[in-house]
Amino acid sequence: MLELDIGKMGDHVQKYVNDNDMNLKNSFWKKNIRNLPGRASPKKESKSVSSSASTSFDDFQESVSDAWEIEAEDEILRMSEVKISKRVAHSAAVNVINNHKASIEEIHKSKNYSNSDPQGESSSQTYKESRHTENKVNFPNSEVDTNKLTKFQVLLESNLLNLEDLKKLSWSGVPVEVRPMTWRLLAGYLPTSTERRQEALDRKRIDYANLVKQYYDTDKDEAYKDTYRQIHIDIPRMSTPLFQQTTVQEMFERILFIWAIRHPASGYVQGMNDLVTPFYVIFLQEYLPIGTNIETLDVSSISKKNRDSLEADSFWCLSKFLDGIQDNYIFAQLGIQYKVNQLKELIQRIDGTLHGHLMKHGIDYLQFSFRWMNNLLTRELPLRCSIRLWDTYLAESDCFATFQLYVCAAFLLHWRQELLEKKDFQGLLIMLQNLQTQNWTDTDISLLVAEAYRLKFTFADAPNHLTTKR
Amino acid sequence: MGTGDEEYDYLFKVVLIGDSGVGKSNLLARFTRNEFNLESKSTIGVEFATRSIKVNKKIIKAQIWDTAGQERYRAITSAYYRGAVGALLVYDIAKQLTYQNVERWLSELRDHADQNIVIMLVGNKSDLRHLRAVPADEATAFAEANNLSFIETSALDSTNVETAFENILTEIHRKVSARQMDSMDGDEIDKVCMKPIRIDATTANTNDSAAFQIKQFCCNASA
Repeated sequence: MLELDIGKMGDHVQKYVNDNDMNLKNSFWKKNIRNLPGRASPKKESKSVSSSASTSFDDFQESVSDAWEIEAEDEILRMSEVKISKRVAHSAAVNVINNHKASIEEIHKSKNYSNSDPQGESSSQTYKESRHTENKVNFPNSEVDTNKLTKFQVLLESNLLNLEDLKKLSWSGVPVEVRPMTWRLLAGYLPTSTERRQEALDRKRIDYANLVKQYYDTDKDEAYKDTYRQIHIDIPRMSTPLFQQTTVQEMFERILFIWAIRHPASGYVQGMNDLVTPFYVIFLQEYLPIGTNIETLDVSSISKKNRDSLEADSFWCLSKFLDGIQDNYIFAQLGIQYKVNQLKELIQRIDGTLHGHLMKHGIDYLQFSFRWMNNLLTRELPLRCSIRLWDTYLAESDCFATFQLYVCAAFLLHWRQELLEKKDFQGLLIMLQNLQTQNWTDTDISLLVAEAYRLKFTFADAPNHLTTKR
Repeated sequence: MGTGDEEYDYLFKVVLIGDSGVGKSNLLARFTRNEFNLESKSTIGVEFATRSIKVNKKIIKAQIWDTAGQERYRAITSAYYRGAVGALLVYDIAKQLTYQNVERWLSELRDHADQNIVIMLVGNKSDLRHLRAVPADEATAFAEANNLSFIETSALDSTNVETAFENILTEIHRKVSARQMDSMDGDEIDKVCMKPIRIDATTANTNDSAAFQIKQFCCNASA
């Protein structure tokens, strides 16, 4: 896995070399670091100590270090210093990726994916394997993990949490053991002061209980009946056994209904239920022994008090999370339309070949990326991967709306080769609507966000960067 | 499915519209993949599928756009009406409200679609006999009054799904052929297909492809 990361880095460097010559590259890093201190970098912001101009590349490298495994840093640095040739980088990358593929296949074979899958696999219903199994696959008890967990624990237990440090650490993925508390803090749901935390949590849970009494348990206002009807139609359509339980469906209905009432400018929009799911599943696991298969769990076996807490936490975190992207869900979904256009412009600049190919065959970005934006890729990725992706989104906090654009760009570019091989409109569109991510792991997401980070760093606020070059 | 190398004589763009939860996506899945999923997730924006069938010895390729039913998506989905030559307007025979809203969907089509679009009213979920809320004669009368064809289907047990798509595609083919006959010089078909496309803020970025679809349709239709 470590090797893959280096290889992929080589790949990135190589791609970069393809697009731009080396001189530009060297001057580029310097220029951007100086002119735009701290921009686009969750790591960077807290690294003010090392902001002297002399080692700007080191700064950048350090600022993104968490996107790769820690041990990879030296290697990456070495590779960056030596101006690696395209050929070397490419063959290294290919080798490593092949090795990695082989080892992953090994793992997939040896790990028993024995979790029941009553409905069979389909591209849209692939997240039935237990997340715990997945996490074991991804983090085979390495020392790195233990170290990372310890770092989290130290941070979380400090009297006054340094939120920037927590964001920095979380960006590259949060260990499953500390994810619930980390997410609450990253979402801004809980205060940084440890001693006020429990009190705040209790109060927020009571607040939520009151909202339920006020809006949900009473006769619903006529104006809200449409909203309720729509939610009530959509919730039973969530597949997987967990979400077929009445207890779970009622919790989702309350969360979404109350959110919709409190946010009249947008209200409920189909697909929002998918945005509750990661929070719900993460907080649910707090009440279960590690390793419980949530798909076979009877949620009503959890105590009422814990279920209420789970529901309240999901609600508040969802609310905080959606605050940054409310314009996605207002009338005409202008936020999404704007972002889809941005994606189009971005791809046009980054990869004229792919963009031209899509245009030539009449593919419109709205046709495939609307759902990516509306559901934050939850429909395109297995749940375990969405959860890993949300570690990064939450670590980006208010900026995640922008960052998501680059994640979408990186996601599209990931399929570049297969897309270029499709020579007609329907082949392209059907592929874009059913991208095969069912075997993706946390590693794929780490690479995706690393690539997104690179794109953001390169292209954000640099509108003429490529046009002047051409 | 969906590899475009197959030969076809006509390419028709058809949209599936109607309230949420009436079974649009399952009608499409049944027609294009012979699949049905009781818990199919809500459609976000639009989804696309395709299938070719033979009508009067001609191969017709149907490009079908499945749209989200929720009102909030209307601005996005209505962009896809442009260039469509057929629409299946679906309601749920067990839910009166979805039938009442048919009027609203018709006016959506009047506002955004080509005036020559062939519309078929589809009462889906005909397997739910015991829960029927919309009598078939009432829908038949409504369809007649509004110049629509009408059929009841069940995506669950496959009843009439093939027939529904075959009928609408045949009807579109009939209209297109008649138009071709009327004006051998092709002027008429240009008028029908190449209407100028209105650009507004909410749909500006869909126009490239709408134009493309229409052009493609015309080329193929006259082939």
